[in-house]
This record gives sequence, C-alpha cells and structure tokens, in this order.
Amino acid sequence: MSKEERIIQELAKETNEIAAAQGIQAAYNHVLRAEVALHLRRPSLAIYDHSFHFIGGAQRYGLTMASALQDRFDITLVVNHEVSHRDFVDWYGLDLSSCRIKVIKLPFFEERGLRHLDPAIIPPETRNPFHLVSRESGGYDIFVNNSMNEMVYPLSGLSVLVCHFPERRPQTYFYADRYTHVVCNSLYTAEWVKKKWRLTSPQQIYPPVDMENAAAGLPKKKLILSVARFEVEGSKRQKEMVEAFLSLNEKWPEIAKDWSFILAGGSNPDNPYLAGLEKMIAAKRGQNIELKVNLPVDELNRLYQEATLFWHMCGLKHEDPSGIEHFGMTTVEAMQNRAVPIVYDGGGLREIVDHGVNGFRAKSKAGLLEYTLKLFRDGKLVRALAQSAHKKAQTYTRAKFEAGIRAFFGDMLNTYISALDTGSPE
Amino acid sequence: MAQEIQRLKEELNRKRKEIEDIKKLANKEIDRSFPHNLEEFSERELESYIAESIASIKTEIDSRPAKEPITSHRKVIGRPIVTLKRFLLQSLADYNDLFLDKQIRFNRQSVDLYQALLLRTKHNKERMKQIQEQISSCEESLVILKAKLEDLRANLEQGKNLDEGPKLPVQD
Repeated sequence: MSKEERIIQELAKETNEIAAAQGIQAAYNHVLRAEVALHLRRPSLAIYDHSFHFIGGAQRYGLTMASALQDRFDITLVVNHEVSHRDFVDWYGLDLSSCRIKVIKLPFFEERGLRHLDPAIIPPETRNPFHLVSRESGGYDIFVNNSMNEMVYPLSGLSVLVCHFPERRPQTYFYADRYTHVVCNSLYTAEWVKKKWRLTSPQQIYPPVDMENAAAGLPKKKLILSVARFEVEGSKRQKEMVEAFLSLNEKWPEIAKDWSFILAGGSNPDNPYLAGLEKMIAAKRGQNIELKVNLPVDELNRLYQEATLFWHMCGLKHEDPSGIEHFGMTTVEAMQNRAVPIVYDGGGLREIVDHGVNGFRAKSKAGLLEYTLKLFRDGKLVRALAQSAHKKAQTYTRAKFEAGIRAFFGDMLNTYISALDTGSPE
Repeated sequence: MAQEIQRLKEELNRKRKEIEDIKKLANKEIDRSFPHNLEEFSERELESYIAESIASIKTEIDSRPAKEPITSHRKVIGRPIVTLKRFLLQSLADYNDLFLDKQIRFNRQSVDLYQALLLRTKHNKERMKQIQEQISSCEESLVILKAKLEDLRANLEQGKNLDEGPKLPVQD
C-alpha cells in the first residue's frame, strides 16, 4: 500500500469515527482540515458582517483584516445586503478584488424592509434568523464574525468573534462563548467582554488608523476640532462641548476670541440633534463655532492638519459603559496630525491618551475648560504634547494592525494544521 | 489522492446540507437560558428591566382563570351533568372570589406602589440632575476665575520683576 493510499484509508476511517461520535459537520471540518494540512488547497476564511453595506469603523476593521490576509487565504466576505468591491475602494481605499462576496438574504429583515439588521429586535420566541449565516459558517476552515452579533453559531473548525463592545448580556441565541477566539478592539472592550460575557481570555488588537499622510506641513491655527458622528441621541456629547466653548466666550471673551471651534461629523438628513446645536449656537451668537456636516475626506484631513487642539467628550454623563467610547479612532487621527487631545477620562480613550504626557483627560466640562485654558496660555506645552501625541499615535497604524492580524491568524493556522496527524505527501 | 478526498468531502457536504437543524449540525444543544444578575445591571439596563417587569406584572393582576363554557356530549344525562357542574363551579367560584378579590386588590395596590416609587425615583433623579448642572456651572466659572487669577498673578510678578530687573517670560 502506498503512502497516499494509507493516508486516504486513515482519513476515511477517522472521518467515519468522527461522524459517528460528533456528527456530520465535525466530520466535514476534519476533511477540510486534512486538505489544508496536505497542501491540496489554500485555507478558506469567511468574514461576516451584517453591516458591510454601511460605512463604519467596525466594518473598516474587518475589511482591513481581509486585505491583510488575502494573500494567504481564500477569503469570502459574507454579507446580508448587496455591496460591491468598488464600494470598499471608495469608502476605505481597500482593494479586495481577490475576495469573493457572498450575499445571504435574511427573510426576517427582508420581509420588514429593514436595511439595518439589528439583532436586538428579534423576540426570543422567534426562530433565529441568523441561523442561515450559522449554516454558511460551516463551509470554511475559519469563520470570522466581525459584526458584534453573538447570535451566529459558528460551525467551522476554527472561528473568531470580533467584538467592538458587548452590547447585550447573554440571553436567547447567545453563542459568543462557542467561538474559538474572541478578538476585541481595545482593552476596555476586553474588560467588558470578561465582565458581561464571562469569557476568560479575549485577545486584543487595536483598530487600524491611517491619517498619517495628512500630517505633512500645513501651519497650525488657533483651532479646536471635534470629529464625531452627530448621533440623534447626542451620545458623542457635541452639545456639552459647544456649551463649554460658549461659556468660555461669555466668561473670558478676550482669550476665546482668537480661537475657533469646529465640530465635524457625519449625519443623516433631518437630524433633530444637529438642528438643536445650530439653534443653540445662533442663540448665543457663537460666531467662532462652526458645524461641518458630512465633509469629504480631503477637507477633513485639512482640518486635522490645522487643528491645535482636539476635543472628544463621548462618555461624559453616561452611566452605561456602552455609551463611553470603546476605542476612539478620531482621537488617534487627530494625534497622528499633531493635534493635542483633551478627551473624556473613560473607556478606550484612557488607553490612547496618557494624561499630561500626550494630551489631557477630563471627567467634566470644568476639566475640559481647565486643560484647554492651560494649553491656550502655554504654547511650549502644546508643542511638547503634540510631539508626544504624534509618537503615541504610531501604536495604532495600519501596518501595526496588519502585522498583528497576520501573526494572530498565522498562529491559529499552524495550530489547526499541526493538530492533524496526517503528514504531507512527499 | 486529491480526487479521493474531494469525493469524501462532497459526500459529507451533501449530507451536511440535508440537515436543516443547526442543533443537529452542531451535534449538541446550542440554546441555553441565562439567569439575570440584577446587581451587575447598568442604570439603562435596570430601567428597561423595570419597565418590562411592570408591564408583565400588570397583565397578571387578575389571576382568576378565564371562564369556559360548560358542555356535555352525552345525549340523555348531558343536561343534568351540565347543570350540576355549573352549580358546583358557581359555588366554588363564589367561595374562591372571597380570597381572590382580596388578592387582586393586593396585586393592584402593589403595582400602583411600584409605579409610585418609580415616579419618585424619577423625580429625584431629575432634581439630582439639576443640582449636578448647577455644580458643574459653578465648577466651570471657578476654573475660568482661577486661570484669570493665575494670569493676574503672573502679570503682577512680571511687573515686579520689571521694576527689579530683566523681564521673565510668562507666556510662550
């Protein structure tokens, strides 16, 4: 009997035993693994996100992951709504042409005409609509769930749940603990994954932030910048920041008059929160405050370059941990452009900004004003902190992210292959 | 060898696709129930938990079973059986109502009390929020005053140094 025949015979025997003891899916996974171990094909990897058809930071995370791994894996992007390779180039500058896109429509949401697939709206007595995705997961060597949706049951041999924050507590259709690995975007998220989901050792890989190209040379202006989405619930706390700046205008006009405050961010049309902000600024005659909505990227880059200070107070007056910034990508973007951050002292922002070293952290509006006034009156300090901020921001570059992702999946793949005692053909 | 493995894979895949139930594919029970640990809940979670609980309790205030028509399929003795059943059930119902009415009154009062307490908590929270706003506004004024004072002191120091000797830079 040749070696190849022996391998086939052993594999068939093992597969039969596994099928009898652990079911057909486990047996199928075993054969998939053997194919990779015997170098018969490249490992297959699916990345699922129910929001890939929307622009977002979490989606960028998953797609940059695909970009970093596409030379080593056969990647399929599993989506629930049509989206094209062109969209990914336009939205994130990512060429994912070697990845396949597979659309799996979910009747529960289709019938209701919902484009935003919110797992929270699914009543416990309803059949889990995400089981269609669970079924799909069983066709790959590795299944990555990038969508903070713990209702997808992984059937693949290896699985990864990427979590940007554990929004819901374990309840009906909770399967986060069924994944081989859970990867978090920050230590803050990892801490809450342990607390809320009782998972012992989540991995942590910071998201990619790539605003470094914009750092070349425009002179800094006396400009405070805030970049955050104008959420209808006001969770990014733009109102409180405007109040703080208006208070400065009113109580110390001599110092405030040279400075301007620009709040940039995306918004849906007819946003009552945004309308309220406009009204507030007009009523208090805040001429040095501007709202810039849905700016093109190059204009945003210019603002980052010109800004001396960066304010981000998401988390202020929030009692719920999910309302506090889980990471803070725009803060890192500002730091990459040498703007000194003054941010809310909580959540992932604590990992980014070291108080007094590369920016300041404030617990209240008074704190925000205190550190702002300190920097208004001390140019030397501004320059020193800006330099340190730029240095710290290098921790979160796309290159670092990609290296981390490659190492993580490389280790996983090695374990996957080595666990199978098949041996390669000579 | 590749062909053999491919054949094995396709066969398993066909069998896999025939199985509808995820539970069967996973070869184990996948759904579990998770008890609440209220002490871990955030304010937001507590609020929605309270709202859901009160709504659910409200539907259970009247715990009397729904009345169902009494019938019999027996041709001859059916009517006397129905009459007897009606009489017995009515007697029992009258007796039960003595207790149940009291229980229903208690349930209703309990729900009202929950709601009153909830309302009071809400009012207190509002009041607390107002006080926090006032404190916050005072803190802001204080910070600005402190900064102004520091500048004033620095300027005075500068003036003093001007009288005494070379000027020291206080601002960049």
